[in-house]
Amino acid sequence: MIRRRLMVPLLLAAAAVAARAEDMKIAEALKALLDNALEVRISARILPAEAAKESWTAESTRLTIPGRSVKVRLEGDNVQIYLVCTPYRQENGDMLLVSQGQVWFTQPPEKTAKYFSTFSSIPVTYGEKVLFFPLGLSETAGQDKDYFNIELEIVIVPYEKDAAH
Amino acid sequence: MCPDRQILSAWLDGEIDAPWDRELEDHVGSCADCQARVERLESVRRSLLEAPVPDWRPAMERVRSSLVSRGLASERAVPVWRRRVALPLPLAVAAVALVMVLAGALTVSVIRSSFGMVRITRQGYGGTEIRIAAPVSDLEALLQSIDKDTGSPEGVIVLPKNVRLVPVGEPRMGKEAEFPRRAP
Repeated sequence: MIRRRLMVPLLLAAAAVAARAEDMKIAEALKALLDNALEVRISARILPAEAAKESWTAESTRLTIPGRSVKVRLEGDNVQIYLVCTPYRQENGDMLLVSQGQVWFTQPPEKTAKYFSTFSSIPVTYGEKVLFFPLGLSETAGQDKDYFNIELEIVIVPYEKDAAH
Repeated sequence: MCPDRQILSAWLDGEIDAPWDRELEDHVGSCADCQARVERLESVRRSLLEAPVPDWRPAMERVRSSLVSRGLASERAVPVWRRRVALPLPLAVAAVALVMVLAGALTVSVIRSSFGMVRITRQGYGGTEIRIAAPVSDLEALLQSIDKDTGSPEGVIVLPKNVRLVPVGEPRMGKEAEFPRRAP
């Protein structure tokens, strides 16, 4: 009987110790994830046809781990752009950027919606710039003065926690 | 003097060694009585070899019924889990200890999985394999905590108003160097 009374507290104590140990491991896992984390910096630029005009820029920095996608949505008056970037680390340590772009836009005066999609798999190195022109790439010469070109720049760098704060 | 029946039977079965087997052969060859006895023995042996194998089950059932009626056997066979097994004490203690160790290991395993076991393995090619035995929701929460860690935005960029964005071609994607306009 005494043995049975001792058994229950011992089992509870073992469970508590195991739970504490696992809490520690979750923290370790978070640290390991951060050690392998990548920063995906996405810059959106709207460049007017006239060089004299000022360009518009917005940036979004997302943190991810290799194999986990980063999604960015650009919302405009007549355009919705979805960019999904997934960095992969290859066996030799190099990065592979798999990107998917979706573009929805309406064009006056018809107000009909059009849809484009694109997909690309590009080997990159840290800091190397990848450009995405969701509405195509125009030649500056001969364009309408009121025309704006939009481009997205994607850069992958290793995450450094100290630098982020 | 004629050999008796047992010796003749043994001789037929090849169980008589030399030189007596030769002596018996000579005697049977010259003795009409012994020849007749040998023929009868061979006849019995042939009939036994050619007869079908008897069915012993009715006889066994009769024996079993007899034992049951005398209280020496039970009506039905004893189930395996009711059979008693005699074990030496050290072996029994070792068996109990083994069961307790296995039960303890199972308990620890269940507790570990319920609290989310994490195993981090460094791969040879510089990668890291992270195994998390936890529900997907927990894993997602862990990944979301990374987002919170840097305070990154939700990933929505609102483009400026009153800007005429019109497509001029197919979407294009590539390295910066692939676009001459931007090349240094």
